[in-house]
Amino acid sequence: MIEEDVEVAVIGGGAAGLAAAIRAKETGAEKVTILDRNSELGGILPQCIHTGFGLHHFRENLTGPEYIARFIERARSLKVECKLDTMVLRVTPEKEVVAVNSPDGLMTLKSRAIVLAMGCRERPRGALGIPGTRPAGIFTAGTAQRLMDVEGYLPGKRIVILGSGDVGLIMARRFAMEGAKVEAVVEILPYPGGLARNLVQCLEDFQIPLLLKHTVTFIHGAERVEAVTTARVDEGGSPISGTERMIRCDTLILSVGLIPENELSEAAGIVLDPATGGPVVNEHMETSIPGIFACGNVVHVHDLVDYVTETGELAGESAANYAMGKLPPLARKMVLKAGQNVRYVVPQIVSGEEPVALFLRVRKPLRNVKVKIRSLTMPIRVVRPPETVVLRLTEKRLGKLEKEKELTINIEEEP
Amino acid sequence: MRGEERRKVTCIVCPLGCEATVTIKNERVIKVENLECPRGEDYVLTEIEAPKRDFFTTVQVRGAGVPVCPVRATQPVPKEKLLECSKELAKITVDAPIKIGDVIVENLLGLGVDIIAARNLEEMEKKENR
Repeated sequence: MIEEDVEVAVIGGGAAGLAAAIRAKETGAEKVTILDRNSELGGILPQCIHTGFGLHHFRENLTGPEYIARFIERARSLKVECKLDTMVLRVTPEKEVVAVNSPDGLMTLKSRAIVLAMGCRERPRGALGIPGTRPAGIFTAGTAQRLMDVEGYLPGKRIVILGSGDVGLIMARRFAMEGAKVEAVVEILPYPGGLARNLVQCLEDFQIPLLLKHTVTFIHGAERVEAVTTARVDEGGSPISGTERMIRCDTLILSVGLIPENELSEAAGIVLDPATGGPVVNEHMETSIPGIFACGNVVHVHDLVDYVTETGELAGESAANYAMGKLPPLARKMVLKAGQNVRYVVPQIVSGEEPVALFLRVRKPLRNVKVKIRSLTMPIRVVRPPETVVLRLTEKRLGKLEKEKELTINIEEEP
Repeated sequence: MRGEERRKVTCIVCPLGCEATVTIKNERVIKVENLECPRGEDYVLTEIEAPKRDFFTTVQVRGAGVPVCPVRATQPVPKEKLLECSKELAKITVDAPIKIGDVIVENLLGLGVDIIAARNLEEMEKKENR
């Protein structure tokens, strides 16, 4: 078995892992190695051919493949090592990475620091329990995207999309643009899951109906999907009998949520946050195991790749400093708790001494709210569940923050 | 008033997502209501009188490991031309190698925008250093 010593091992070569590896090199780590099970770098970005990437990071409006190409080129020029077609089997608390690939067989990377950047997976049909047959023609949105925009196949001609998150909306537009008919986008919640921009440009532009408070209750078809039954749902999300309607289609696209991929983290004994599905991290993006860091969608599902890059850079810098013995422990540990109307907050642990960006998800859409952490108050005009609220705790704001073992973040409506 | 039409437009300039009520006469906007800022007014005017959209799709490619290459327009195109642009690009096949920024079509349909490649395709073919 091959054994190698590395300073920083990065698991996953998508947006988060590339940013981490690049920043680790720039910070001074000499040997930085990315491991990825895919045969090319970039993660999900090569198949995201729509625009809107890089508006924050580059102040440019790029497609996914253009955005990620800049990082791939930078990683190459910095001589980041890449082991592609390589499956990581195990990460240990002693910071060994056990992996396997065809040319090298089994290998162990003995690392001074590790960055977890495995991203997330799509929730599949099996997780929804939709009754019906098991015909061809049921795809997750990301699979359909890959088939269409990397592999060049149109997955269907009459489409129903379940879930109104951004990926589902973006695929609705791609289908419409390539000549397929999108019969409906079906959303169980009373409000859409995607950005206003995507509702206008992906649905309204193509006169695609959005059925709020509806779900798919049955899938019909023997060899191929022939139709789905939709129904209205009640307040609790259960289908209302008598409201069923059959929609003829040959394809059902599922865009029903993303789940951080943490089998490796769990097996290593890293503490996960049930609210995010990802590791609990501190302001250095360090997990509960010292020297193991995490960033991007493996920590929590982000709405913008620009934020993924930001957390990747932070994790990469921290990992390099840890590997070189230059990362001091937090001056104090304050645990941030999600309070009123807050689903989660990342990072979950801060010192209160260094400026930090907090990423929050809210439970429901609200206008004119105040974010309160004890006596620190920040007004926000509008918050919506699909959009991350980014709170930048600057020096000035940190000055007003009480230094307690535990701090609760509440989002309060104006009286 | 006769000849007047009222329409709802969702502003997408910022996360507030104001729903504006627009009064239109002879295809011109004469009044915009329910907006919170002037940036929104510009957006709504353009959206009613000459809406534009980012345009992107794929074209067929020969000699790369994948059959299609993503491409995009250098500037937004008129909204009503989106499908026409898509059909035009469905006729095109290019040869690898392709580099990001390569012009695939100049002045598409006379709209004054170029179509450029959004992916490096030769590099995708080489194996990374292990």
